[in-house]
Amino acid sequence: MTDLHERLSALGDDLDWPPTPAFEVRVPQRRRAPIARRTLVLAALLTLLLVAGVAAAVVISLDGATIEQRDEPRPPEPEIGALALGRPIELADAPFTPLVPERAGPPESVHLRDGIEVALTYPPARGRPRSRTNGLGLLVTEFRGDLHPDYVGKIAFQGTVVERLRVDGERAVWIEGAPHFFFYRPPGGQLEERELRLAENVLLVERGPLLVRLEGAFERDEALALARSLRPA
Amino acid sequence: MVDDRPRDEDRLVARAKRGDAAAYAELVHAHESIAFRTAWLITGSAAEAEEAAQDAFLKAYRSLKRFRENAPFRPWLLAIVANEARNRRVAAARRERLLLRAQEAGVARDRSPSPEASVLEGEQRAELLAAVERLPDRDRTVIACRYFLELTEAETAAALGCRRGTVKSRLSRALDKLREEAA
Repeated sequence: MTDLHERLSALGDDLDWPPTPAFEVRVPQRRRAPIARRTLVLAALLTLLLVAGVAAAVVISLDGATIEQRDEPRPPEPEIGALALGRPIELADAPFTPLVPERAGPPESVHLRDGIEVALTYPPARGRPRSRTNGLGLLVTEFRGDLHPDYVGKIAFQGTVVERLRVDGERAVWIEGAPHFFFYRPPGGQLEERELRLAENVLLVERGPLLVRLEGAFERDEALALARSLRPA
Repeated sequence: MVDDRPRDEDRLVARAKRGDAAAYAELVHAHESIAFRTAWLITGSAAEAEEAAQDAFLKAYRSLKRFRENAPFRPWLLAIVANEARNRRVAAARRERLLLRAQEAGVARDRSPSPEASVLEGEQRAELLAAVERLPDRDRTVIACRYFLELTEAETAAALGCRRGTVKSRLSRALDKLREEAA
């Protein structure tokens, strides 16, 4: 087989390679926009989202969630305000069986918002310092696949790390370097500004039909450990 | 071979290092096909390869400051892509064995002077591909990198995460096995 090298090279031309996808290369710009312009850009961005409903510069998608990396500088630091988590409920009254992070123990409170989002709150603890944005150690919010809003999104700003991961074999996204905006539009509804709030570090995890968001001022390892300890309530 | 090296790569790299996103997009576009195929060979899945390549493009951009100007960009990028692909393969815990297939008859490039010779050549190609398929994963991958993707020795080493000397010895052993297989 003296011509083995040539035959192998020729074989490469005949292989049934999968078609190369059209990659969208969206990278953060390194220059900073003037402060006055930031507000305008943000307003324009939100208007675009309201009108289009779908982000144009999608970097990462999970089922029911889209993370968009934006070129814009970070917005000003938020003030700690009352969280709009919905009405308090008992775990047993949730419209689906929520997942609870065993590592964090039983939640301090459970809430239901718009009939579709279950939120679990936890006080600060070792490895889970008090969040500057919500005062909690851990905030867990969950949507069920057939109930989750038709669009869930985040806008990550300059300097924010967005990393795609696997947690126990299922897709996840780690977003660090917040604040970033979180917003959603209820089924058939309009995205409203009051739905916007600022979050800190977030791990988004798919767990079967559930999309789970773990939010807090904790490190990535702590977030992953919490995600791995998620169990049905 | 996917030969898509831009003519003015050094200048594009310099611009990208200064934060020129358009220049970086041009660089990625020039290498996206070889990057995707490399990731596909490692992950065995087109979907995983796409995600690996997409993430690697972002990581490479963030690491551009560490890239030495005037160095070849493609091996550096492929090393990041391959690393991302390997991480995904590990995370997936198991991997579907990559099935290398030839294109449908008539689509593949016909280099034969007559229909009879064409059939014969087609059979020989199929036999050779089957022999490559029977090789252990490590041997198939090094052959695929060197011959199917036509990566250089340095690029293959970057893609496989090993030294150039290892590529040489691994390839030599793989070719020996292939000769035995196809004998």
